Amino acid sequence: MQPPAATVFVVDDDEGVRNSLRLLLKSVGIASRTMASAKEFLDAYKPNQPGCLVLDVRMPGMSGIELQQQLNLRGAVIPVIFITGHGDIPMAVEAMQQGAFDFLQKPFRDQDLIDRTQRALVRDSRSRAALAQRARILERLESLTPREREVMGLMIRGMPNKVMAAELGVSQRTVEIHRARVMEKSDAASLAQLVRMVIDVESRAEG
Amino acid sequence: MKIGRDDKTPPEIATAEATAAGDPTAALHGRLLNVSRMATIGEMAAGIAHELNQPLTAISNYASACERLLARPGADLADVREALQQIRAQTTRAANTIRQLRALTEGEQAPRARVDISDLVAELNDLLRTNAHGVQLSLDLAPELPSVTVDTGQVQHVILNFVRNSLEAFVTRPTANPCIEIRTRLTAAQEVELAVTDNGPGLADQARERLFHPFFSTKLRGTGLGLAISSSIARAHGGSVGYRPNPGGGACFFILLPAQTPE
Repeated sequence: MQPPAATVFVVDDDEGVRNSLRLLLKSVGIASRTMASAKEFLDAYKPNQPGCLVLDVRMPGMSGIELQQQLNLRGAVIPVIFITGHGDIPMAVEAMQQGAFDFLQKPFRDQDLIDRTQRALVRDSRSRAALAQRARILERLESLTPREREVMGLMIRGMPNKVMAAELGVSQRTVEIHRARVMEKSDAASLAQLVRMVIDVESRAEG
Repeated sequence: MKIGRDDKTPPEIATAEATAAGDPTAALHGRLLNVSRMATIGEMAAGIAHELNQPLTAISNYASACERLLARPGADLADVREALQQIRAQTTRAANTIRQLRALTEGEQAPRARVDISDLVAELNDLLRTNAHGVQLSLDLAPELPSVTVDTGQVQHVILNFVRNSLEAFVTRPTANPCIEIRTRLTAAQEVELAVTDNGPGLADQARERLFHPFFSTKLRGTGLGLAISSSIARAHGGSVGYRPNPGGGACFFILLPAQTPE
C-alpha cells in the first residue's frame, strides 16, 4: 500500500499568519493543511500520516505546548516546529526540552522556515523508515518459539554451544539446530547483526 | 456617533501640571493617574507587540511567497494577486492596532468630549480581546444611550482597569468557561452605567468595604491604586464607581456617569 504523501500541518489561531504560511510553503512546492486550533488538529491527526507540524506556541484553548504533550502521550513521531512570539523564549525552551524539532521566533526569515520544514520532513521520513524496520524485525523475532528465543538470549550473550547445551540440558547438536533456526527466522547475516537487531527492538520497547 | 468638544472643562479635572502648584492632593492624584495608566499600558504592551507581530509575519510570508511564485516559469498569478490583497488587509489591521494605541495614550491631555459610552467600549474591543487569553468576552451595549461628557482616555482607563481585575481574578482562581461581560445601560436615575461582570470568584465581604481605598488590594502584586484611581476619575466626572456581587456568582464593577440632556 502506498503511504499517504507527506503534509505540513500549520496550526495557528491567526488566520492571516496561517494562510500566509500555506502560500509560502506552496511557493516552494510543499503541500500543507492549515488548522485554527490544537483541537482541530488532534481530531484530524492520524499517526500514519507522514509530515511535520508547524505550531503556534500561544493559542487560546489548548496551547501549542499542551498539544505537544498530547502528541508525546500518544507516542507520535511527527516532528514539531514551534513558532513563538516576542518574549516567548521560556516557552520555546520548554518545547525543546519536550522534544520539539525546532523553533522560530516571529517575525522569522522565510528561508529559515522553509529550511526547517524541509529538514523536519526528512527527519519524519527517516524516523518512519526506522520504525517500519523495527516493526519488521519484531515480527521476525516474534516468530521464534520460546525455546529458540531462550537460545537467542544466550547467543547474544556470547555463550559457546557447549556451555549452552549444559545450561539447557540438551545435546550440542540440538543447540546447533536451534541456533540455525534463530539465524534463519531472524534473517540476520551474522551474530553481530542479530545483536544489533535485538538492541534496536529493545531500545524501542523502552522508549 | 456624536462627538463634540466641550471647552467648559470643570476645574476639578484639570491636569496634573495645572494643579501641581495649588492643591497637593489633586497633584498627587494626577501623578498617580499617570503611573497607573502607564502600568496598564505597560501590561497591554506585550499584547500590542503580539498584535503587531502577527500582521507583520503574515505580510512578510506573503511577500516572500510572491517573489518565489513569480520566479517560477508560468507563475500562477491568481495566487500572487490573492497574496497582494492579503498584504493590504494585514497592513490595515496593523494600522488599526496603532490607531487604538494612539487613541489610548493621547487621552492624557485630551479635553472632554461628548460621546456615547458604548462607542468607547467598541473602540477598546480589539485591545481587550487580544488580552483576553481564552476568557470569553461579550458586549451588551445599549443602543442610543444619552451621551456623556468625558475625558475619553480616562474613562477607557477605568474600563481597562475593571477588565484587568476580572482577568487577574481568573488567573488567581481558575474558572471553568471564564466569561466577562461589558454592559451599558441607562439607570432609573438617568445615569449612564457601564458594568463589567465576570463569573470568577467574586470578592469576600470584608474586602468590599475598603475596595476603593488607595493602597488596598486583594491581589498578590496589586498596587491598590487601580480602583482608587477609577473612583477619583468617576468623581471628577460627577459620577461614581461601585461594586455589587454578580447574582450568578462572580464580581460586577460599574461606573455611573451623569447623562447629558439632549441638545
